[in-house]
Amino acid sequence: MRNIYLIFRRDFLGYVKAWGFWLSLAAVPLFLIVGAGFGYFAASSSPVRYYTVVEPSNVIAGAIEAEFRRTEARAAQDAAALAGQMKVPVNEAQLAEAAPDRKFVAVAPPAQSVEALQPYLTGEKLVSGPAGEKPLFAALILSADGRVLEYWSSDVNVSGLRYSAETAMRDLSRRDALLAAGLSAEFLKEADDRAVEVAEFRPRDEVGGGSEVTVADRAPAIVAVALAYFLWLMVFSIIQYLLMGTIEERSNKIFDTLLTSVKLPELLAGKLLAVFAVTSTMMLSWSMFAGVGSAFAASQSPGLTELIAPFLAAATDPGLIIPALISFILGYVLYGAIFMALGSLCDTIQEAQTLLSPMMILLMLPMFAIFIAFQDPGSPVIDYASWVPLFTPFLLILRMPQDPPLWEIVAQMGLMAATTVLIVWLSTKVYRAGAVHGAGIGDLMGMIKGAMGMKPKADVKG
Amino acid sequence: MGDAPLVMSGATKRFGAFTAVNNLSFEVPKGQIIGFLGPNGAGKSTSLRMSLGVMQPDEGAVSLFGAAPDIQNLRRVGFLPEERGLYKKMTARDTITYFARLKGMGAADARARANELLETTGLGKFKASRISKLSKGMAQKVQILSTLAHRPDFLILDEPFSGLDPMNQQTLEDLIRAEHARGATILFSTHVMEHAERLCDRIVMLARGRKVFDGTLDAAYATLGQGARMAVEHGFDLAAALAPKGFEAHRAADKGPGDSWRVSLPKGLGAQDALRAALETGAPIVGFQPEDARLRDVFVSLVGEAEAASLDAPSAADVVEAA
Repeated sequence: MRNIYLIFRRDFLGYVKAWGFWLSLAAVPLFLIVGAGFGYFAASSSPVRYYTVVEPSNVIAGAIEAEFRRTEARAAQDAAALAGQMKVPVNEAQLAEAAPDRKFVAVAPPAQSVEALQPYLTGEKLVSGPAGEKPLFAALILSADGRVLEYWSSDVNVSGLRYSAETAMRDLSRRDALLAAGLSAEFLKEADDRAVEVAEFRPRDEVGGGSEVTVADRAPAIVAVALAYFLWLMVFSIIQYLLMGTIEERSNKIFDTLLTSVKLPELLAGKLLAVFAVTSTMMLSWSMFAGVGSAFAASQSPGLTELIAPFLAAATDPGLIIPALISFILGYVLYGAIFMALGSLCDTIQEAQTLLSPMMILLMLPMFAIFIAFQDPGSPVIDYASWVPLFTPFLLILRMPQDPPLWEIVAQMGLMAATTVLIVWLSTKVYRAGAVHGAGIGDLMGMIKGAMGMKPKADVKG
Repeated sequence: MGDAPLVMSGATKRFGAFTAVNNLSFEVPKGQIIGFLGPNGAGKSTSLRMSLGVMQPDEGAVSLFGAAPDIQNLRRVGFLPEERGLYKKMTARDTITYFARLKGMGAADARARANELLETTGLGKFKASRISKLSKGMAQKVQILSTLAHRPDFLILDEPFSGLDPMNQQTLEDLIRAEHARGATILFSTHVMEHAERLCDRIVMLARGRKVFDGTLDAAYATLGQGARMAVEHGFDLAAALAPKGFEAHRAADKGPGDSWRVSLPKGLGAQDALRAALETGAPIVGFQPEDARLRDVFVSLVGEAEAASLDAPSAADVVEAA
């Protein structure tokens, strides 16, 4: 244990004394702050755009305006629901104040034809509106026969107004058809108001057959995705440490000296622990950053605690956290051993880079599975792929909120453990061949066959 | 044999079809300085790595202090590998402390010992310097100090002089003598015979993975006896000319003009007799000097001139150093 500690200590201090470690440590919070700030800035700085509708009456303009109002009302409803879950009392005035500013504002048509509107659409002429004088962002012109609403705009990439217009047109068409069928406008309004709401419920044993779905019901799946992504991020970040660290030692010709002082398994264990500690330090620092950020947010908005509580409960549920911890440990050892063994075969960073591509592809597969699980946690793709030991560490965590059969959990853990033992054993052989005997990437297949007893060991330098 | 630092019995190591070490047996008795000699590629490093358990012999056995090499008896050993390397970002003091601790020393003792060694070898003011900031010679010195920091009973040094300038070679020779005086047993490999001549009690010579000599320096010299060095014009075969006269001649490293030959003297005959015989054959002699046998000549007589030629070739470390 003493030797493991000494190897661990040297490697750990070697990593954390490097500039790269501190840059990586600062990068994630910085990225989050900059990303969040950028997102807020992008949303708040989105300019007010003027549009106009050229039509004989004011019907289409009214329909588009109504569509905007419906969208705003839905957003207010969602905000009210969230506030309800956070147990934060809000009134309509507060909701209206919190609603984002309208980004598309209707103005009176400055001209009636496309040709006449052209200078306004290209910015040669400006139109007046609530936000001052601006170019006309879009003009919606109803054709003479009333069958086509032409959407004219110089900026074809901003499509929010067009989508709203399309929805408004469908609604208007339905309304016209119903009015034509003899229904009164009042009746249609009453029908809309009396539309049946869809409420989401979940069956439960303990609450008289079931109750409405809340954040607490979705929290386990979200936490599972977060944990799987956390493990993925950890494995992803150890690649460079293990590859570069081992290459440095191989190029420094230091293995012979080390191996006359410590046993090979002690050396590997110390190194894996050091990288684990480095990544854990990073993750812990980021978690603390998130914790402090959440605490600060909660202090500003007390109701936020109510929102966070279900996630904390899910994250501390033994049914999720125990398989997650086992997956973390086995997944880390499994991938760590592979990367370290491969690093021991490389003399240069260039050589290691040739290995990075297949490793990235290998690592992207569970990442895709995490995406699938986020969309459809019960997908059979996740169930089947979780039997592949290289993916099990990530996917078993994702499956846990779906309450898979116990035998499957035990069997997958057993398979994962057996594979980890096999990979560690093989990696030790490869590491010895690379670090001690100077074998290179080209010798890899020969060594694996040799280790499996398929043919004599590959020639290596003495 | 029980407490002999090293006993190698019939050790053989193959790499595929190539036999690097072939049935090698020798013993390193306690308290001696043993030279492990041979040209590049003779199997010296492989033998030393087997003796430390870094590599396992395919056949035969290795005994270190009476047992198979393991971490416990390796703590009594200090090993300097041929291919040198240290952690470039560690300081000189931390490097020595780290390797001493891996050999079982306590943190405070190891640190104090590192300071002491750095001070006594003139590296005191560089103790907080990173290895990457030191000159190659200084870094090599640090590695050598790391090897002996834990006061090992047995020092194994693989080509310790390669890559060092003459001044540092002398410093290393002094260090080896000091460690020997402390009571350490020392086994060092080299392809430069002069170091062995100055330092060793005994030598083991290796060629093509096989042992060709094992004994004291005197015994090595006795294989050739007294001799004379003669230089003849290029291309003249002195061995063939002197053979009918009862003298044996071997090509030696050229020093000065012409081809250099070492002529062994049969019992009862002197260097002047050899010169007279050579003149009688009409040999175009351009130089003559009576001399005692040298290890290189012993090696030449044992393995032949072609094999011995690589003794003069620089090692990989020398080439790197020169570059």
